[in-house]
Amino acid sequence: MRTGIFMAAVLASMLLVSAAHAASDPDSAKLSKSTSDHTKFKALQQEFNSGPEVTKACLSCHTEASKQLHKTEHWKWEYRSPEGQLLGKKNVINNFCTSIRTNEAACNICHIGYGWKDDTFDFTSEVNVDCLVCHDTTGNYKKPAGLAGNVVTKAMEFPPGSGNIIKPIDLKKIAQAVGKTSRDTCGACHFYGGGGDGVKHGDMDSSLASPDQALDVHMDALGLNFACATCHMTEGHQVPGSRYAPTAQDKGDAHVRGKEYTSNPTTCQACHGQAPHKKIAKLNDHTDKVACQACHIPKFARGGVATKMSWDWSTGGKMGPDGKPLIKKDAKGHVIYTAAKGDFILGENVVPDYQWFNGKVGYTLFSDKVEKSDQPTRINHFEGSAGDGKSLIWPVKIMRGKQAFDPVNKRLAVVHTAGNDDTGYWTNFNWEKAVAVGMASIGAPFSGKVDFVTTESTWPITHMVAPAKDALRCHDCHASNGRLEKVPGIYIPGRASDHAGWLDTAGWALAALTLLGVLGHGLGRVIVSKRNK
Amino acid sequence: MARIYIFKRFERFWHWAQAALIIFMLLTGFEIHGTYALFGWEKAANLHTTAAWTLIGLWLFAIFWHFTTGEWKQYIPTTRNIIAVMKYYSVGIFTDAPHPFRATQLSKHNPLQRLAYLVVKLFINPLIWVSGLLYLYYNDLTASKIAGVAGLKLGSIALVHTAAAFMMLAFLIGHLYLSTTGHTPLAHIKAMISGWEDQDEPARELTGNGAGAPAARAS
Amino acid sequence: MTKKLSSLNVLSLCLLACSLVASAAHAADGDWKRGRVYYQKVCTECHTAKAGGPIAPNTRTMADWTKYLNTDKHAKGKEPLKMYVSREYRANIKATNKAAEKYADVPDEQLFNDVKTFMLKGAKDGDSPASCL
Repeated sequence: MRTGIFMAAVLASMLLVSAAHAASDPDSAKLSKSTSDHTKFKALQQEFNSGPEVTKACLSCHTEASKQLHKTEHWKWEYRSPEGQLLGKKNVINNFCTSIRTNEAACNICHIGYGWKDDTFDFTSEVNVDCLVCHDTTGNYKKPAGLAGNVVTKAMEFPPGSGNIIKPIDLKKIAQAVGKTSRDTCGACHFYGGGGDGVKHGDMDSSLASPDQALDVHMDALGLNFACATCHMTEGHQVPGSRYAPTAQDKGDAHVRGKEYTSNPTTCQACHGQAPHKKIAKLNDHTDKVACQACHIPKFARGGVATKMSWDWSTGGKMGPDGKPLIKKDAKGHVIYTAAKGDFILGENVVPDYQWFNGKVGYTLFSDKVEKSDQPTRINHFEGSAGDGKSLIWPVKIMRGKQAFDPVNKRLAVVHTAGNDDTGYWTNFNWEKAVAVGMASIGAPFSGKVDFVTTESTWPITHMVAPAKDALRCHDCHASNGRLEKVPGIYIPGRASDHAGWLDTAGWALAALTLLGVLGHGLGRVIVSKRNK
Repeated sequence: MARIYIFKRFERFWHWAQAALIIFMLLTGFEIHGTYALFGWEKAANLHTTAAWTLIGLWLFAIFWHFTTGEWKQYIPTTRNIIAVMKYYSVGIFTDAPHPFRATQLSKHNPLQRLAYLVVKLFINPLIWVSGLLYLYYNDLTASKIAGVAGLKLGSIALVHTAAAFMMLAFLIGHLYLSTTGHTPLAHIKAMISGWEDQDEPARELTGNGAGAPAARAS
Repeated sequence: MTKKLSSLNVLSLCLLACSLVASAAHAADGDWKRGRVYYQKVCTECHTAKAGGPIAPNTRTMADWTKYLNTDKHAKGKEPLKMYVSREYRANIKATNKAAEKYADVPDEQLFNDVKTFMLKGAKDGDSPASCL
């Protein structure tokens, strides 16, 4: 009986929808900005059973797309820095989940390809390029963890025997609805870096999918509504703005159409130029030393999603009273401990650190020796100084952690974490086994011993630009113990540590002595005049 | 009782406007320096800059006035009677001795005043002007191609500006006090307001600085 | 027009015979992103601040939401739900609500369908379960 009513309701809703469509049909419908309606393409009018099948259909028209993508870091996950370090996700280590090595099936769901599960992945395959992950407009495209970036088109149990059923996605519908990239598509990976929403960056999380003006003045869904690509202006699938070679200082003018530029289009200056403050011109006097972001992103993780500020792997492996892996949550329900990952410290509305940055980032790689000491190992660090002429003061997130290393060989550990096997740390909680597999994967020696080093990594803060009214005020930095208290090499009016101590002492002494002198003199006069009365 | 018209209208306006501006700039300046919080840094900085331009404007008028009226001669230093004046302020003032100097229109400052004001006008003020303007236009300096100024560090400019501010502060304290040393505590201040100075004793021979006859009139 | 209606009728009958999930999915073909913004900036805004705590699409199933939306009752039946997506309502709150201002002229049914699309998509058993953010 209830079902019957419900069905009737559904039927009613159908009629309603069709009526709505009829009403909005010809006149009120917006002019389509695309010249193509992908539902009309023969190549897409078929059932797809896998991602590569869709890509093949895409390539039947967009013949050069995969070749373009093969040239990108999004595909290669490898980058040779100007300093000669071999970087990219394939090679770097971090202090979140630490490394993709031996964990490809889990981590590489964020690779723009299908099937990168180990070293045998074919980087020359055109059909392995995943078009949909960037061009989906339905919001329903999913790449489940553990499947090496492959998609699920028929309901399946995963991991096998877990009882967890992964819902299939409708590739045909998704393929027919492709469009431009959006905050949702870019965010599908970039919001979730480090293993979860907001974990890694602090200035990027799912709150930016549909932000309000206070959270991001450019991406404001009801205002300017920027897509990521509005700034990361992409041509031929080459997305500018990589974090491996950031533009710390842009002295160029605002880009105008019709002119050719070789400079990075994602910088603030590329739109706003060098003297953006019209009302208070004095503020323009700051742009030679201070990155725009330093004042205009007063705090990060402002959208209600917490970011990880610290991750201590060394405490992992604890079991609860029930014998099951322990999980702890804070008052807000955020997970702050899991047996698989150790302890976390989370942060919301975090005040950034500030430091000189000239665009060069140095990395500690697997091949580098590390020492256990009071000083944290810098997983990466920003270079720069007040005097090098290339640096600006940048807001950064400092991620702190403790992670596994081999105390004998003095190398950071590659840890096999993910995977339903008898060595993955997340299922077996055995460091030695997990590190042995990890180290073997890069051909590095392993002593059999695992210890932990404290580490630090640095992340630029550049998204979540607040409206001007929420930007920092003068006194935030022009003060003692202000935001820039620890930034060396620059005179900041109002910061006591910049004062010449002798001058202040001498100056106040002079004033005090003068005062004392005249007071004494005056007292003398008063006494004399009283005596004379 | 004799009255003498010493301070002309512009001179009085200039003096009090300058006094207000300097006190205000000391107040805002030391807030910018980070000594205390009063207006808030942003407001202090804005007010300080506005006051600076006002003061510069006032000074331009004052300089013009000094030269067109010949009043600049009031600041020519002299050593004549300087010992007597010093002696008066250190001893005589306590024994009710008469002031060895009598102001006249042509010589309104005693030798110590002349010297002190000259130091203010030729040393402290220019130091504040120059360092202040360099401070204000620091960015344009560093961008300039003139090696000498381009190499200036903001810290050094600020140091000079602050030092000059301390000197001005010390001057202000001394000046404020000395304004109470007339024949009554408010005599000098009243004179600075009305322009007229009461002189309760007949002018004496030693008053002049060779600049003319005593100008006091019997009333 | 007639043809479209009838074909849709046929389709819906077919869907009735098939599964509820599929039918709900079909009903949801509005602009989910516009629906998301309206849901966040109008529905959630008020529910979080005044009306008894936050609401999130993923706290109900598609069937629950479909039933709720079709019943068209708000505040325990005191008022019709659709009032809150009506142009009249938007005109009333647009001085203080940017979403209402921006979508002031969207036809009622269209906007209602957008919100519905988002809610069904974000339902517990929807294609992309959505929390409150």
